[in-house]
Amino acid sequence: MNGTHDTSETTTADEGDELDPKAAATLLEQTKRQAQRQFELNPPLLTLVRAAVILVGYGAVWWSVRGQHPYEGPSLAALAVIYTAVIVVLVITAAVFTRATTGVSGQSRRQRGAYGVAFGTAWIAVSVFQGALYHDGASHAIVYGVFPAAGQLLVLGAAAAAMAAAREDWRTLGLAIAVVALGTGSAFAGPAAVWGIIAVGGCVIGIGYAAVQVWLPRA
Amino acid sequence: MTDDALDPLIHVPARLRIVATLAALPDGDALSFTRLQDMLGLTPGNLITHLRKLEDAGYLSTKKTGNGVASRTSVALSNRGRAALDAYTVALRDLLAGLTASGFS
Repeated sequence: MNGTHDTSETTTADEGDELDPKAAATLLEQTKRQAQRQFELNPPLLTLVRAAVILVGYGAVWWSVRGQHPYEGPSLAALAVIYTAVIVVLVITAAVFTRATTGVSGQSRRQRGAYGVAFGTAWIAVSVFQGALYHDGASHAIVYGVFPAAGQLLVLGAAAAAMAAAREDWRTLGLAIAVVALGTGSAFAGPAAVWGIIAVGGCVIGIGYAAVQVWLPRA
Repeated sequence: MTDDALDPLIHVPARLRIVATLAALPDGDALSFTRLQDMLGLTPGNLITHLRKLEDAGYLSTKKTGNGVASRTSVALSNRGRAALDAYTVALRDLLAGLTASGFS
């Protein structure tokens, strides 16, 4: 007998292993949960980070505009805080996204690209519209208050709701509707208070959604 | 119900993990060989052997893109594979329920 063998005929190490049904059930469940965690684009921890960022960012703006009569708008320092917070979330989101999608190809990748274009278009449109409001002589209370605080939530929340409904993703649809409701309701509070209401309300919604993600995971 | 009701192709630790991992992907998605190997911690040879067995049974499909060093292999669970995993899961649940009812744990 020579010392070589055909590796393609080699029995794999675990082929003959007895797999107890209970062990099989445990292994199946563990593997399923681990895979879902690894492919998850919006893990609960990221949701909590976003909730904290909303509280800090919108809270900083509210702190800078509270008591303004007439309303002028947020200070440069507050704007720096909110933009830094947004950048931090974008960087973390990109890292999570890269980790979750490495090696994954197919329909979901194409869908995400399409959703990204739609979402990006909505965000740009809202920003440009804010410029149009300023150009058309709208007051500071609208241009630098109610509109940037609540208008973004309304438009982006509605876009997210439509995308979630198309995917029959009821959890995300519920979240998006809550965001739209927060934007709509908070607008009645005026240009200064709207920032504070969204800071707290957005944080609460985020924490609630993270709890739903943990206690009611996807099947 | 006995262990014989469990699909022998899936009722092996490595192949069970392969099928369960691929099933976590959305329909229509595939996973690269490299990522799958990284997630499961199997050696390339071991993984290839198990993938071939599953592919021969029609439970998954593999697709190779690119040439030479840049070639990439991706793996996806087929509809038959998903159905096989669903059937395996039901059979396993029934088997365990039967064992519990008869006093074995």
